[in-house]
Amino acid sequence: MQCAESLRVQAYFDGELDALSAADVERHSETCAACRELLQDLHQVRAALREDLTYASAPPALRERILHALDEECGIKNPRLRGPRLRRWRPQPFWTGAFSGIGGTALTAGIVFFFLAPPLTNPILDGLVSAHVRSLMPDHLIDVVSTDRHTVKPWFAGHTDVSPVVADFDGQGYRLIGGRADYFDGQRAAVVVYQHGSHVINVFSWAADQRGLPNNTTRNGYHLAFWKTGNLVYCAVSDTAWDELLGLARLLQDLN
Amino acid sequence: MDDRRRCFEALVLPHLDAAYRFARWLSRSPGDADDVVQEAILRAFRGFDALRGSDVKAWLLTIVKNCHLTALKQQQRRGFVPLPEEHDVQDGEAMIATTPDPESSSVRRDERRTLDRLLSSLPEEHREVLVLRELEEMDYRAIAAVTNVPIGTVMSRLARARAALKARWLKEAEREPHAVR
Repeated sequence: MQCAESLRVQAYFDGELDALSAADVERHSETCAACRELLQDLHQVRAALREDLTYASAPPALRERILHALDEECGIKNPRLRGPRLRRWRPQPFWTGAFSGIGGTALTAGIVFFFLAPPLTNPILDGLVSAHVRSLMPDHLIDVVSTDRHTVKPWFAGHTDVSPVVADFDGQGYRLIGGRADYFDGQRAAVVVYQHGSHVINVFSWAADQRGLPNNTTRNGYHLAFWKTGNLVYCAVSDTAWDELLGLARLLQDLN
Repeated sequence: MDDRRRCFEALVLPHLDAAYRFARWLSRSPGDADDVVQEAILRAFRGFDALRGSDVKAWLLTIVKNCHLTALKQQQRRGFVPLPEEHDVQDGEAMIATTPDPESSSVRRDERRTLDRLLSSLPEEHREVLVLRELEEMDYRAIAAVTNVPIGTVMSRLARARAALKARWLKEAEREPHAVR
């Protein structure tokens, strides 16, 4: 038996509803057995597909072939660009690693941000995403460059209104690369910056107030994970996979 | 390497895996998928200047979908008639990753194979919305753009696709209780 609300329930499950409609659906499924069952089915199918389906990535040979095809394409279409190479920018060793993935991310972010103009409504989420994007612009990522938490932590004392948890999880793949002060939501928030593979993860923290903790969400391709420890709200922002982002969130929460 | 190329590689190539997966689930064989992806990347590169900040992944997957349709038409013109989709069992199994995963037990491999097979037995319009939603985690709007149908159609297709997969899964469980959980 199918309820007339089933498409709305599905949209709710897919995170496509605004808060009011979502609340409607939640109320409705409390009394509608068919919709409760539907929600269960949806969860089951998703879990099966995400866990058990072969998640293939492009074979290295294909990648090679494509890069080669692009070379040829450039050679034919843009012979003038085959001229003298641009002078290479020589970054300091630290930046070589840190920037390997950042350039593209920043560019994407910039474009997404300035041209897409998505229907953003929540000012906190807006602020976080724009602060994250801003941080990816050259020279905005880090104010205090250090992989030592004993350097980063005290630095915050003089530069921000809060004193967040700082730790290095190099062994688990999350390298502490520094800290930054960011003006956000009316106060000077502390940002601890981690590097995970080629991705940058910004962990924002600010003093909690009466407003509830926002739900984990995805905006413009950036995942935002929220949690609260003591009187501080934390938000980790990155374009890594959810698992990887939540991994760092867990490690930080476990410190308390 | 010139700036345009560098820019393209930074923006578009991170989605190469997604493009490949999508092509694999659309195409009849790995070889076809390779060709489709390569053609799509080249087309994307040629049309790169037209990309103005819309969702890069959705943009690339739209091109993949169009390349797939073109390839299909060419095959049909050449008189190549693909097997009916319902009977194409090998297709899904060919998706099994070639790199061994030390954590996957044989039970897990069986589950994987079953699910791959069930998904590939679905009609293409169902398969593609499931892949885009559940694997690529795209929202309705982006799926509508890639599949070139209205959002309402995306919603009804998703509902039918999920119900169909679930039904086939249950049927499989009746036939081979240990092949699925």
